[in-house]
Amino acid sequence: MSESQMTNLVSFSEGYGSQRSRFNFSPYVFVLPCALFAAALLFYPVVSSLALSFRQATVDTFVSGDMPFNGLTQYQAAIGDPVFWRAVINTVLFTVFSIVFQFTIGFLLALLFQFEFPLKSFCLALLLIPWVLPLLTSANIFKGLFNEAGLINQLLHLAGNRPIPWLADRQFALPATIVANIWVGFPFNFVLLYAGMRNIPVELYEAAKLDGADYWRRVFQITLPILKPVSVSVLMLGTVYTVKVFDLVWIMTGGGPANSTHLLSTYAYQVGFSILNFGEAAAIATLMVLLLLILNLFQLLMKPR
Amino acid sequence: MISGLSSSRWHLTAIVLVVTAILLSPFYWVLMGSFSTPAELFGTHLTLWPKRLAVENWSNALSRLWPHVNNSLIVSTTVSLCTLVLTVPAAYALVWLRPRGGKLLFNFLLITQMLPAIVFVVPLFVVFSQANLVNNLFGLALGDMTFTVPFALIMLCAYVKDLPYELVEAALVDGATQFRSFVSIVLPLTLPGIITVGIFSFLIPWADLIYALSLVTDETLQPLTLQLYKALGQYGIDWSFLLPGSVLTSIPAVLFVILASRFILAGVTRGAIK
Repeated sequence: MSESQMTNLVSFSEGYGSQRSRFNFSPYVFVLPCALFAAALLFYPVVSSLALSFRQATVDTFVSGDMPFNGLTQYQAAIGDPVFWRAVINTVLFTVFSIVFQFTIGFLLALLFQFEFPLKSFCLALLLIPWVLPLLTSANIFKGLFNEAGLINQLLHLAGNRPIPWLADRQFALPATIVANIWVGFPFNFVLLYAGMRNIPVELYEAAKLDGADYWRRVFQITLPILKPVSVSVLMLGTVYTVKVFDLVWIMTGGGPANSTHLLSTYAYQVGFSILNFGEAAAIATLMVLLLLILNLFQLLMKPR
Repeated sequence: MISGLSSSRWHLTAIVLVVTAILLSPFYWVLMGSFSTPAELFGTHLTLWPKRLAVENWSNALSRLWPHVNNSLIVSTTVSLCTLVLTVPAAYALVWLRPRGGKLLFNFLLITQMLPAIVFVVPLFVVFSQANLVNNLFGLALGDMTFTVPFALIMLCAYVKDLPYELVEAALVDGATQFRSFVSIVLPLTLPGIITVGIFSFLIPWADLIYALSLVTDETLQPLTLQLYKALGQYGIDWSFLLPGSVLTSIPAVLFVILASRFILAGVTRGAIK
């Protein structure tokens, strides 16, 4: 990186000497289409969403197009709704449990893949499947597995237990969606931790082995400490992706039964597109970004400096 | 390597294969389920393999879904190509030509990756419904590009950084224009990265639900995912249609992972760790 910056600097000063009269416009031409897109379809919506959250944007005002400013009304309406708080708690539970299990499974798999063995890259490719599957497919798979007559209840039956109406039960529906999300996300954790472990010098392990450290001691005293920066990145990225999860829960439960599985994302979507209150949906979206910042701050504090 | 031994170890392969089989069993279930009758799949007894392959599930699903496969293909191809056209030159310029404001653009795109989709969906729905871009495949493609453009630019910047820039400089000294050296040197050298990013930019809109759900109500324009989502009534799901449809939706991604896992690995670890 620093070397390439140097060559860049050298070429810049050379260019400056020989062609000082000509303004080099080509970098701007290369960037312009992308910058225009970013301005119109990314920057504008972010600002507009924030602005919308302070306006009364419901079906009637939306059609007439005036959308009057009404301050914090949308935020008050959102915060005053018990479903909002249910969604906040669910989002935190969903994120924490998903991340803990995804990370643990990913870490254990990465430990296993630290060894060399035949068919390794084949198994690695297969293990990526849950992560690249369209969420619609994964959601439908788990909708089937957690069906009242689905595979999980068939297994419970084999073990002599009564069936559980997973997705129709207010207690069990959220855990079922978390299991689905763990399945979707473990490969991502696995792959990044695996890549991180490959950068650990083998000599460290060999030296520790000579000193008589057994396998698990080497894992706890070499692998884990060296992997800490990578782990923090993985956890932060995981948090960002998990708080954003929409499709999986929207397809599996639609936020139900009786709003018991709403995440902030599904709740905001329902307020926006089922109740057609775009202003309040935008307000919830803003609060969601705040929650994301808080969760990430926690993890930043853990980051070694 | 942790044990210091790297000889062939089939017993480890056996362990890993068992673990892989357990972890992939939900995917096996949908493959098997797409060839089963619902009565068999959701009976009281566990079935590991259908007694009779219900091929009619697939022929029914294919004939119903074919027009929507077509919509998905149009949208995904458009998104993938437009994303590359916007981001490949931009990534090259951001890394090597350093225009003013480039860092700002990059950081802004990085931040948008953290924002929930709803932040973009609501305002774009408002604007698109005034601009005739609702119920319009190009409008849907534009929406999907809010996912792919930031992602593609970030990943491409990581690839472009590895470019041997001396080659570009040599061409410039020989009198080639920036555009010419971009086309004849930068593009061929970053081709693996461009292909990987192009495929991801195809798969993301292919799997999208939220924009399709918000921007397309016209039945004939609905992409595959939305059509399948519509088949999920609250009661009485037609599994003999839903499961083959779900497998059909997953085909591009599964093909990609089997054929190009090496590229995905390189891409993911580059983008996330650097």
